[in-house]
Amino acid sequence: MHSPENPFARDPHLCSDHAGEGPSIWNLPGLPDALRREWLALETRRHFLGRGMQALGWAGLASLLGRPLAAQTAAGPAVLGPHYAPRAKRAIYLFMAGSPSQFETWDHKPVLQRMFDQDLPESVRGGQVLTGMTASQARFPIAPSIYKFAQHGQAGHWVSELFPHTARIGDELCVLKSLHTEAINHEPAILQLTTGNMFPGRPSLGSWLSYGLGAMNDELPTFVVMTSKMPHRTNVQALSNRLWSSGFLSPEHAAVSLRSAGDPVLHLNNPPGVSGDVRRAMIDGVNALNRQLFERVGDAETNARIAQYEMAFRMQSSVPELADLSSEPQSTWDLYGEKAKEPGTYAYNCLMARRLAERGVRFTQIFLRSWDQHSNLPRNIKLMAEESDQATAALVTDLKRRGLLDDTLVVWGGEFGRTCYSQGVLTAENYGRDHHPRCFSMWLAGGGVKPGLSFGETDDFSYNIVKDPVHIRDLHATMLHLFGLDHNRLSFRFQGLDQRLTGVLPAKVIDGILA
Amino acid sequence: MASSPDLPRFRRRLALGILLAALPLGAETTFYQDRIGPILDRHCVVCHGPEKQKAGLRLDSFAWVMKGAESGAMVLPGNAAGSELYRRITLPAGDDEVMPTDGKPLLSREEIRNVELWILGGASATKGVAEFPGAPALGRPKPAPVALAPDWRPRADEIRRLETELGIRLVPRSQQAGDGLILRTAGSPRRGDDATLARLAPIAELIVEAELARTPVTDAGLAALGRWTNLRSLDLSRTRVTGQGVAALASLPHLEALNLTDSAVDAAGIQRARAFPALRRLWAFGAPGMVATEARP
Ligand code: HEC
Repeated sequence: MHSPENPFARDPHLCSDHAGEGPSIWNLPGLPDALRREWLALETRRHFLGRGMQALGWAGLASLLGRPLAAQTAAGPAVLGPHYAPRAKRAIYLFMAGSPSQFETWDHKPVLQRMFDQDLPESVRGGQVLTGMTASQARFPIAPSIYKFAQHGQAGHWVSELFPHTARIGDELCVLKSLHTEAINHEPAILQLTTGNMFPGRPSLGSWLSYGLGAMNDELPTFVVMTSKMPHRTNVQALSNRLWSSGFLSPEHAAVSLRSAGDPVLHLNNPPGVSGDVRRAMIDGVNALNRQLFERVGDAETNARIAQYEMAFRMQSSVPELADLSSEPQSTWDLYGEKAKEPGTYAYNCLMARRLAERGVRFTQIFLRSWDQHSNLPRNIKLMAEESDQATAALVTDLKRRGLLDDTLVVWGGEFGRTCYSQGVLTAENYGRDHHPRCFSMWLAGGGVKPGLSFGETDDFSYNIVKDPVHIRDLHATMLHLFGLDHNRLSFRFQGLDQRLTGVLPAKVIDGILA
Repeated sequence: MASSPDLPRFRRRLALGILLAALPLGAETTFYQDRIGPILDRHCVVCHGPEKQKAGLRLDSFAWVMKGAESGAMVLPGNAAGSELYRRITLPAGDDEVMPTDGKPLLSREEIRNVELWILGGASATKGVAEFPGAPALGRPKPAPVALAPDWRPRADEIRRLETELGIRLVPRSQQAGDGLILRTAGSPRRGDDATLARLAPIAELIVEAELARTPVTDAGLAALGRWTNLRSLDLSRTRVTGQGVAALASLPHLEALNLTDSAVDAAGIQRARAFPALRRLWAFGAPGMVATEARP
């Protein structure tokens, strides 16, 4: 901005960056109020006079409310709260990164059993663009699931034999078979599910919830992410914090990621020789300096920083209590299995998710990677199912018996579907499946969705949707709705637009799955 | 806000009432009355009704609909494709001419289909619902919001003071004032004790949900809770409350959900809770009463 090459920088009257040198942009006559407010909320590194009073006023207000500063958003103490009474207070999102095939999980296609190694009819494919991985294949031979399906429970969901535990909780599940997306590669597809947009930089779902609803427990983060150890590693998806960042929302809405080994949160323990009192005094000192900085500069991110120091300090006592599993009764281990004792496993993370839910954490996202079975699908999907099935079912069962499932939404699924034809060589025992964005399956449980429902249908090849398509935008709109939020109204003004999780294209709440 | 949304409906009913009076006997609910009127009320009447008449068009009664706009008829019986009203509701979102305007939610597929069938069937005021067998059902109309508790807003200062003094949170359940407050102790469970509950008595009628899991609350505290008449949901999991204490909640007229997981409630207490007048959901996993029940063959 201030490089000498910038011709405007030399003219003090055109530059808004230093109040006192000339008129500031936000003092321009006729500037609409809304724009002025946006400017104030977003302004970073812009110096101006009079901000000190506002900063002091805000700190005073925070203490008046008796809430730690961290509970306030950087833009002010306003937490919107739900637009209408919510059905869900919290959500646990079991993200199966890499995308489990719908054919071996939830979308039973008996017709394909009779079509082994036949070519996928061109009429079904309809000129669909394929990924570079299969586009050059001479043939598209149909690969029926090697795993058998059976109907379970009152609901009669067809469940693959890979998931015997999940099959037992089928009556709790609302299985969606008609998800679709435009993304055909993992990173954009995962981003679209976690942030509503294929391009990085948007706030994630958990951040929107934190922004819209605030914290239920000020001692713990509102949004927690855990990644899980993998039983095997093939085509592992890269995970990075852009999947759980707060984008243009204040940084305090980003997830805290709990580590899978060692201390769950890094640098939380005081270093040797530093007592709690010393640490407290240090944080008070740093915060006082930061507050001075905020008074002078008015940068909203300074407040986010203060909030993060405060949160870290409070987590010094809340996280060890959270991670101490010694009080769990034997029934817990019977349910989740012995693997849940090993930090970092998917089973451990599922148990932690229940403990986080009990303590009022709003949004917990668990990632389990390595579902990307382009080849050796029968062997590898079995490893993944064995790693996760019992713990997934345990989590839903545990939430239910403890009265938490009623207002906790559980989501299970990957980022897109897979092809009905084999990628690479098809044999009676082995095959692979490429990416397929036109349809895929997920399930939801609890939190105000209809249990025991199967929603949406695909054709005999699970290639095209034939009934009740659900775009990711619709899924997001529905999730927000369950939290009492209208996706059209949950917005944040940025770059001149009222930005929303669901973006600008039409999105609809899936009424048919609401309990 | 309070009465205006009902006004058009009332007028429509009135108009229909007059219309129906002239109908042959035995005409039960007409398709227009059952489907088309409610769709227009819901999506159009704010701009095309008694208050505003955009483009000179009113859609708050059958007669107005058929009268059309300044520019002429909007519905051509039997000809959906040629009807301006139908064209406007079937344009893509974002189109300059799509109805409703202003980015309001568009009609659902089912709603559009009902309008289409109605026009194709002659845009009749009198045909019954049974004469449109192909018309998809519309989503249940949202029940009118019922106030669960008095408006808390006039008492915001008092609420804020109690939060500060007691170290608990009193959170609106939603932006609708009638949805009441949640007593929240997740961040400070130790503060949710009997003394705190006693101090909350003056605003107890505002509290609809009490989250007291992991708090030191005892049976004495439950005696106080027994007078929180608007309570619908109570979480006492991981507390020391017993079956005796639970008896004090028997008179709560609206208590629908009670969580006694890992509490000290015995089998008799669970029996008692099951008989509460409004109770629909009860959990007692890990409570002695439940363990005993489970252990019985
Ligand atoms: C937010 C206000 C608003 C809502 C809600 C709304 N309209 Fe309109 N409508 C307008 C305005 C403004 C015009 C005039 C501009 C135009 O013709 O596009 C108009 C024009 C029309 C016209 C054209 C009239 C003519 O002379 O050609 C029709 C037909 C119409 N609306 C039907 C509907 C229907 C049906 C609905 C409900 C599904 C609806 N409108 C909801 C504002 C609204």
